[in-house]
Amino acid sequence: MTRVIRTRVEFEGNISEELAVIQGSDLTRWGPGHELSSVGKPVARADGAARVTGGAKYTQDLFLPGMLHARILRSPYPRARVRRVDASRALRLPGVRAVLHRFNAPRAAFRGEETIFREEVRFVGDEVAAVAAETAEIAAEALRLIEVEYEVLPFVVDLEEAIREGAPRLEEKGNVSESGTHKRGDSAKALKESKIVVDAAYRTSTQLHNSLETHGAVASWDGDRLTVWESTQHVFGVRQGLHLALRIPMTKIRVVCDFMGGGFGSKGGVGKYTIVAALFTRQLGAPVRCVLSREEENLAAGNRSATLQHLRLGWKDGRVHGAEHHSWSNSGQGRWVADPTGPTDTLYDFTNVTSKSYRVVTNTGALASFRAPGYVEGTFALESALDELAQRVAIDPLTLRTRHLVTGKDPKTGMRYSFKRLAECYEIGAREIGWDKRKDGGVRGSTPQRRRGIGMASQIWGGGGGPPAYATVHINPDGTALLRTGTQDIGTGTRTVMAQICAEELRLDVDAVRVELGDTDGPYGPISAGSLTLASVGPAVRLAAADARTQLVALAAGILEVPAKELRLERGQVISSGAKTPLREVLKQVENFTVIGKGSRFPNPQETALKTFGAHFVSVEVDLRTGEIIPLHVVAVHDVGRIVNPRTAASQVEGGVIQALGFALTEERVLDLPTGRVLTADLESYKVPTVRDVPRITVRFVDQPDRVANNLGAKGLGEPPIIPTAAALANAVANATGVRVRTAPLTPARVLEAIALASAQR
Amino acid sequence: MKPFGYARPRSVAEATRLLGDDAVAIAGGTDQLGLMKSGIAVPERLVSLSGLTDLDGWTRERGKGLRIGALTPLTDLETSAGFARILPVVPQALALAATPQLRTMGTVGGNLLQKTRCWYYRDEAFPCWLKGGTRCFALEGDNRHHAVLGAEECVSASPSDLAPALIAYDASVELRGARGGRTIALADLYQAPHGAKRAEHTIRATEVLTAVRIPEAALARRATFLKAMDRKAWSFAVVSVSVAARVRDGKARDVRIVLGGVAPIPWRARSAETILEGRALDDATCRAAADGAFADAEPLKDNGHKVTIGRELVRRALRSLADA
Amino acid sequence: MAPKASSFVGPGALDVSFEVNGHPATVHIPPHRTLLDTLRETLGLTGAKKVCDEGTCGACTVLVDGKAVYSCMTLAIACEGRSVETVEGLARDGQLHPVQQAFIDHDAFQCGFCTPGQLMSIAALLRSNGAPSEEDVTRAVTGNLCRCGAYPNIVAAGVAAARKAGRA
Repeated sequence: MTRVIRTRVEFEGNISEELAVIQGSDLTRWGPGHELSSVGKPVARADGAARVTGGAKYTQDLFLPGMLHARILRSPYPRARVRRVDASRALRLPGVRAVLHRFNAPRAAFRGEETIFREEVRFVGDEVAAVAAETAEIAAEALRLIEVEYEVLPFVVDLEEAIREGAPRLEEKGNVSESGTHKRGDSAKALKESKIVVDAAYRTSTQLHNSLETHGAVASWDGDRLTVWESTQHVFGVRQGLHLALRIPMTKIRVVCDFMGGGFGSKGGVGKYTIVAALFTRQLGAPVRCVLSREEENLAAGNRSATLQHLRLGWKDGRVHGAEHHSWSNSGQGRWVADPTGPTDTLYDFTNVTSKSYRVVTNTGALASFRAPGYVEGTFALESALDELAQRVAIDPLTLRTRHLVTGKDPKTGMRYSFKRLAECYEIGAREIGWDKRKDGGVRGSTPQRRRGIGMASQIWGGGGGPPAYATVHINPDGTALLRTGTQDIGTGTRTVMAQICAEELRLDVDAVRVELGDTDGPYGPISAGSLTLASVGPAVRLAAADARTQLVALAAGILEVPAKELRLERGQVISSGAKTPLREVLKQVENFTVIGKGSRFPNPQETALKTFGAHFVSVEVDLRTGEIIPLHVVAVHDVGRIVNPRTAASQVEGGVIQALGFALTEERVLDLPTGRVLTADLESYKVPTVRDVPRITVRFVDQPDRVANNLGAKGLGEPPIIPTAAALANAVANATGVRVRTAPLTPARVLEAIALASAQR
Repeated sequence: MKPFGYARPRSVAEATRLLGDDAVAIAGGTDQLGLMKSGIAVPERLVSLSGLTDLDGWTRERGKGLRIGALTPLTDLETSAGFARILPVVPQALALAATPQLRTMGTVGGNLLQKTRCWYYRDEAFPCWLKGGTRCFALEGDNRHHAVLGAEECVSASPSDLAPALIAYDASVELRGARGGRTIALADLYQAPHGAKRAEHTIRATEVLTAVRIPEAALARRATFLKAMDRKAWSFAVVSVSVAARVRDGKARDVRIVLGGVAPIPWRARSAETILEGRALDDATCRAAADGAFADAEPLKDNGHKVTIGRELVRRALRSLADA
Repeated sequence: MAPKASSFVGPGALDVSFEVNGHPATVHIPPHRTLLDTLRETLGLTGAKKVCDEGTCGACTVLVDGKAVYSCMTLAIACEGRSVETVEGLARDGQLHPVQQAFIDHDAFQCGFCTPGQLMSIAALLRSNGAPSEEDVTRAVTGNLCRCGAYPNIVAAGVAAARKAGRA
């Protein structure tokens, strides 16, 4: 039976309703005691050999015959009007095939605008023109020959300057707009009633994704069909974007992403470079490659917004009586806000809460989702403030959190949690870090000038996934399987876990399942973001495999002349009472028939909050004289339901922790305020962690299947491990040194400044 | 990168004949190619020194000191046990410099002649004073990485970790030009850019740096290298400190304190050295010297921490000489 | 053709010959062409990746005469007569190199984009040091950034590969 359902889909702060289709009925969830042979096992990555031999072809690695190279001319000014573009010198350069700019480019809708080349460019790096040439080198040279007349306009790039009275007004309604609010109880009254109030401002810096593979696309027009290879987290999103931009039917567009070199949220859909490649291939009849340079990546491919957050926490009768969280985010030229107030709204059972989030527009590149957008920033502020409160009222920080542990229902929506084991995360983490040895004021470090301390922080995130997501499973004549689903493997191990789920249901070995993904010619898969891939696609894969298994058994019953209910599959064998027949023997009889199973993701239960929880515990050593922070140990404990692959799951957590350490300690986009240029558009001055920056990391999972969420009992894990690390680290630093650093990253300069301030006040 | 002509001479004499204003030398290329890729250097021709195999390697002759060929890869000095016995501070400094690949590619001469990492200098879009423009953009821009000492029109910071370590041993360099050679103190290879001299180095366009020499007497010094970085590896110095001294009967002689990352050139803290001469390296003395090293510091709006960190590293480095 | 000792060649293209993964190769390239671009675009060896193109990330690491270098900061013309090895040449006769197998066994990559560079850095180490310590492996990959944060597994894989290579 085929049914149509309505489902809520959330992306980049926008919630939309979509229709999804489900077929048949869902499977019973594997219970906690259910014995599984592939799921839950530390299976090695299915694509390991391809990735270690150089055989894996990424978008950047495609060099098609006759391919042209496109490069983009970008605005050197943070705000200017493009008065005139003269491409004649560029066009005279041998090897240059075409130049596009705002005076000659065809209409192409992109994020609410009708062109990809604006009249008013609004950040350093905004697209002004594009060149297609026979080599990338010629294209780059041609960019220097394009003459553009700019009318330079007043601009503002800094978050706090943009908020200030008298700042250049960038949008009609002003630079600041309210983007979200939550209110329960009466926080103003509660704060007035509170004996002790922590009232502090926290700041986080702009973090740049710096996926090692830059954004890029190769487009090829062949007859009336457009094929695009793109490094993306959402092939179907790219297809949709191209359809809207170029007004060509979706069925004429195929988007492929076999391997991709990291996205971390920034590769959520079509980019201007995709449209540039597509316009040129249509115009010139040859494949066109448009791949961003590292510098372009760091100007125009997204970022995590810098924030200014004001927290007020009031204390009365041994509890947090009132909480207020006001947050301003530098969205750059982005049209949405990665709201940092979510954790304040939902992590604890505060009675009186007001939170407000503001979008601040500036002349900088638009934000893009960056692994747990908003929650990394908001958790840093909330969990720092909570520790400040704990210190003021002389309560153990963990006790304070346990006191406000939410059980049962989400305090914001009132929806019941499907499953929550945060208390167990606290227990495990405290034990692993040695929380009982934590001392107020820290302990002596490895030298007299160094102090050690311990801190912790909690996290909440989604990860429940949902429809629509589909999969098919073909059974090959040799008994192996081909799984197709339109999701992507962005490095999380999607290929591998989907193969495990499929193998489980088919009772095959994992390496008997080949997975084809990242192709819009396959069944629809959602964006690989929001920690939703496993929980969205996995259940559909299981259903597709189960459907194939049912068909296989029926087929075997016919061939073996044994009733279907007396047959089962086990490791490539058809087993009846007493007899074993290899599956391939059975299939040989009907070699001209392909068993095709299909599966679709069923809706989540109504009125249920599907959330993931976790806690990180961090120990650090701090050099009081140089401000250097040396992280010693990070314990990361997560409750994300069933763990399908403990090996890749642990890798996800380690990676999240390390990326969070970058956010916490070294990563910061620096702007030159007088010119609006990014000074850290390279990997020398923008400092992502090296192997030396990694402390000991202990990963633990509660690993119990969610009792309500989907037929796997599994939830997402991509984002949770980046969320609480920075706050836990800042709390550890405060424990070690007695001083609070309220700005991330916690650079030596900021640590020294805080120490100097504290000693001046003493 | 703009196309260029390329030559690979077999002798220094040939190299000096080929060099000129539009023909620049390239050794490991790790800095030169970077400058060319970002459009800061646009030479017509490159003269590769990689064929000058005579300049690769180091020798020590009793009484004559140490001679290090300019084309010796940094990694060779870093990993040679023999070299570490003679001048351990150099491998200490190199282990914290750049990355293994860059140390494999980069040479001693190239390291000493690398240009500043100032992000205004390295961005073609800023026509800064050092590149021939009219002003230093770092002064009103973001100057967290810039100089706190010895700056004139340009507040760039000297990037080399090796140079301060060698200067602490009174190193000199041999320069060969088309019309003969000269030997100058390594410290004099550097000049704070000022007035008509818009460069950090005093080498002439037609000269090749062929070798570094350390006098025998200096090799008796003990030394320490310390470096503060923005992350635990692969960072240019926030501050680097090279100190060297002869320590006998607890008293320090021939003290050298040379700082990296704090001035447009490797910065010798002479007044601090004087404080220590003939004194015991106790904590109070080391502290006084550390304060002295930064007494003339003029921090900019974003780099006051360099003074705090620098003082502490100088103090620690000096103390470690006493403990050694 | 090797550049003549005392005169300039280029800026136009010329023949440059070197060995790639054990096989002789001659490419017709201008002097300013990097080894990375030559490998990827002229020779079709796309294992080495272009991530920063300015010697800051290590994704383009290859071996020249057995030593790990950044191919984006190496001119191809400077490789005349030398031996170049890329990730494509690590496996021999269909057998993965021990470090490749160890990367799979230890889940030492996520997106895999830095992996060829990491592998070459460790392969170079194993060649010069028969029994590297964890510290040696860590130092060997200090110049190879991994944005996914696979570092703990990369080091574990390197150590395991060293043990295995040591036993073999």
